[in-house]
Amino acid sequence: MGNKQTIFTDEQLDAYQVILTKPIVVFVGFFSPSRLHGRYHELAPHLVPMDYTKDPDCKLPLALIVNMPELKENPFRNRIVESFSEDGMGNLSFNEFVDMFSVLSEMAPRELKAIYAFKIYDFNVDNYLCKEDLEKTLNKLTKEELTPEEVQLVCEKAIEEADLDGDNKLSFADFENMISRAPDFLSTFHIRI
Amino acid sequence: STRERIKAIRDLPMSFQEKKHIRLFRTNITGEFVYKIIIHLRTLVVLKSTPRDYMPWVSYSVSLQFLRRCGYSIRSIRQTLELWQGIMKEIGGKFGTSVLTYFLFLKWLLMFNIFSFLVNFGFITIPLLVYDISPNIPPNVGFGGLEILTGAVSGYFNYTAMYYGGYSNETLVDLVEYNMQLAYFFTIAIYMVLCGIALITSMANSFKTNYMLADQVSNSAWQLLCSWDFNIINERAVRQRKNNLSVQLKVNFVQYKPFQFENILFDHIGIHLGSWLLSTGMAVGCAHQQPFLCPLSLQNTTDASNWSLLQEAETLLVPFVVSSMNLVVPLFYSLFNKFEQYSSQRRQIYTLLLRNVLLKMFILGVLCYYWMKVVPQKFSCWESMVGQALYRLVIFDFFFLMLGSFFGEFLSNMIGTKFLPRLGVPEFDVARNVLELIYAQTLVWIGIYFSPLLPAIQIVKLFVLFFIKKVSLTHNCQPPRRTGRAAQMQTIFIALLFFPFFVGALSIVAYTAWRLTPSQQCGPFRGLNNTFSVVGIWIDGMEDNPGSKGAIWIYDNVIKSEIAYFLGTLIILIIIYIFWQVSQGRKHLIGRLRQLIANEGKDKSFLLEKLQNLQKSCRHKKQKQKNRNKVHFYRTIC
Repeated sequence: MGNKQTIFTDEQLDAYQVILTKPIVVFVGFFSPSRLHGRYHELAPHLVPMDYTKDPDCKLPLALIVNMPELKENPFRNRIVESFSEDGMGNLSFNEFVDMFSVLSEMAPRELKAIYAFKIYDFNVDNYLCKEDLEKTLNKLTKEELTPEEVQLVCEKAIEEADLDGDNKLSFADFENMISRAPDFLSTFHIRI
Repeated sequence: STRERIKAIRDLPMSFQEKKHIRLFRTNITGEFVYKIIIHLRTLVVLKSTPRDYMPWVSYSVSLQFLRRCGYSIRSIRQTLELWQGIMKEIGGKFGTSVLTYFLFLKWLLMFNIFSFLVNFGFITIPLLVYDISPNIPPNVGFGGLEILTGAVSGYFNYTAMYYGGYSNETLVDLVEYNMQLAYFFTIAIYMVLCGIALITSMANSFKTNYMLADQVSNSAWQLLCSWDFNIINERAVRQRKNNLSVQLKVNFVQYKPFQFENILFDHIGIHLGSWLLSTGMAVGCAHQQPFLCPLSLQNTTDASNWSLLQEAETLLVPFVVSSMNLVVPLFYSLFNKFEQYSSQRRQIYTLLLRNVLLKMFILGVLCYYWMKVVPQKFSCWESMVGQALYRLVIFDFFFLMLGSFFGEFLSNMIGTKFLPRLGVPEFDVARNVLELIYAQTLVWIGIYFSPLLPAIQIVKLFVLFFIKKVSLTHNCQPPRRTGRAAQMQTIFIALLFFPFFVGALSIVAYTAWRLTPSQQCGPFRGLNNTFSVVGIWIDGMEDNPGSKGAIWIYDNVIKSEIAYFLGTLIILIIIYIFWQVSQGRKHLIGRLRQLIANEGKDKSFLLEKLQNLQKSCRHKKQKQKNRNKVHFYRTIC
């Protein structure tokens, strides 16, 4: 990462900057595309080119990305990477990589984070959080600590609290409503890179 | 505007590729309408156009792009200089967001102090140094032994730019006319006002995002499910968090809760016991201070330069006592907290905070009373004396904070692991530590008027404290067992920083400027009735200047008259009332909308049921019809 220089066209740099910058706030930095690209490159040095002017089509598989130190211990790492990949299988191009870390950064607005958090928790990708999705989430968060009955109880209670229209599953509106009542969400749904 | 458009594109939940094309397309046509269409229809037809079609736009805004790129590169540089980014990541990775709030708060306070130091040094100290490099120290005063600690009551420091007394009251004429009096007054006044504005806006923002939307139910299953802290990247911390989460879930939802009759009783007894101890602690603290302060007041009023070493050492007694009280009594409060049972964790934290805040306010109150009432009568250059007292307090507070790290965390760890394993490894007590930071910052805010370079010491102190706390944290503490509530705590801390502490410091400085007579022999305001009269003199001086009629009118009719303040307060109260009513109305609306959604859901399920019944009966009828036709057909054939 030190002496190699990532090459982007001016337009691409501009485009990245538009997406990634924000007016200066006291204690928030932002990433430059070359730094992010450095991280992307070191995941697979032989696959990722340094020269991006011709818009190369290079995607890294899920297994490589999930090994990053920021994601390695996260219980939702697979779902995170899958929700940001276009093919749904977790293969990220550099643009999608940038997308992922910009949504997970401090600067992303709450609505955007809520959209992607919903996608992450939606394991069967049916645009609803049903009981199975919640059970899978809970299992990822607690491993073997809770018995299946306890898991069911907690998930039922969660759906009961959040479901507004009574269809026993949570749509995005229900999810967003609950997120708006959890003030910690913005600070916990955040990965530093 | 460009910025809003950029922000709007950034907020779209589309992939990066699509956003790139949106940007080039939209700025060619008037913005809002087009991107709203894109959100609603999600059509990619428009997005598939190539950049080449929009070359005119690209060439037009080349200059804009260049300017923007300059801005970006400046910000890039700023990002590489971002303070402590790596350490914050490490702490957040192991201990989670709530512990990280302490370090972020420390960094924020550091910014205040850096700004204050730059402003004071630039506007007050540098002109003095440029004009008169060697301070006019009387003969036979050297740099003595206890100087650094005592702030040199009788020594070298007293006459330098460190304290109020070292500043001249003349208008310095070198290259330009520089009125030191006005400079001193306005620098400090404007700095305090800016601080106040920064605090109020942070508090309001924090309140808006973290409190207004928060539900009162803090233990809902939903909150626990969504509270996973994505910041944590250390394997052991993740495992511990998972453990804690399962324990919390089990305790809250699965286990049977026994009737809490005894808990309520214990609650009350505990509170009473705690409050009694609290008040006696404070009374003892206050009573102790006066006898120690008396020796100071017995000194010779005019000549403070002949104090012996013993007398100087005596001045160290007050800060020593104050700081040790600040260290020891909160530890006792935490201890009581462990024995008391509370019905909710939130009440526990609030009670602890309240007790600590009251303790600190009481101590500061007594000290300030002494400084405002007794010291001006007893000493000639009393502002410098107060400045020195504050300097001593700041230094001792620093030492005791380091000691506190040792006792609070290191010893607790030793006790918890080797001697009393039941207690376990301690957790990092965020509330207590943040309160200590707030107290330290209040001392500096009070002291800025009396000792303009005090923020420099605070900067060093905060810097060193950051690293000490970080080392202590990583070696001695474990991640917190109960998660959540980091955002609410942050709001409370900012609110606490503003309300009793900053407002108190501001009132002390304002009282000094308004009511107290500056000392006759030293400092920039010597010879005046009160500090505020420099503004009066300046305005009077401006009467010869024809262009300043407006300023004079404003001064006479707005700042000096009481009716203006009365009217202003009235208008503000009316506006607050109107906003309050609007927000009440909105709350009602939200409740009604929720009810509407629930009703819609019921309607939907009712209609679905009806539809299914209809379909069933339709099929039934068709079947019957078919059978009848068959029978009819057979009958006709046969």
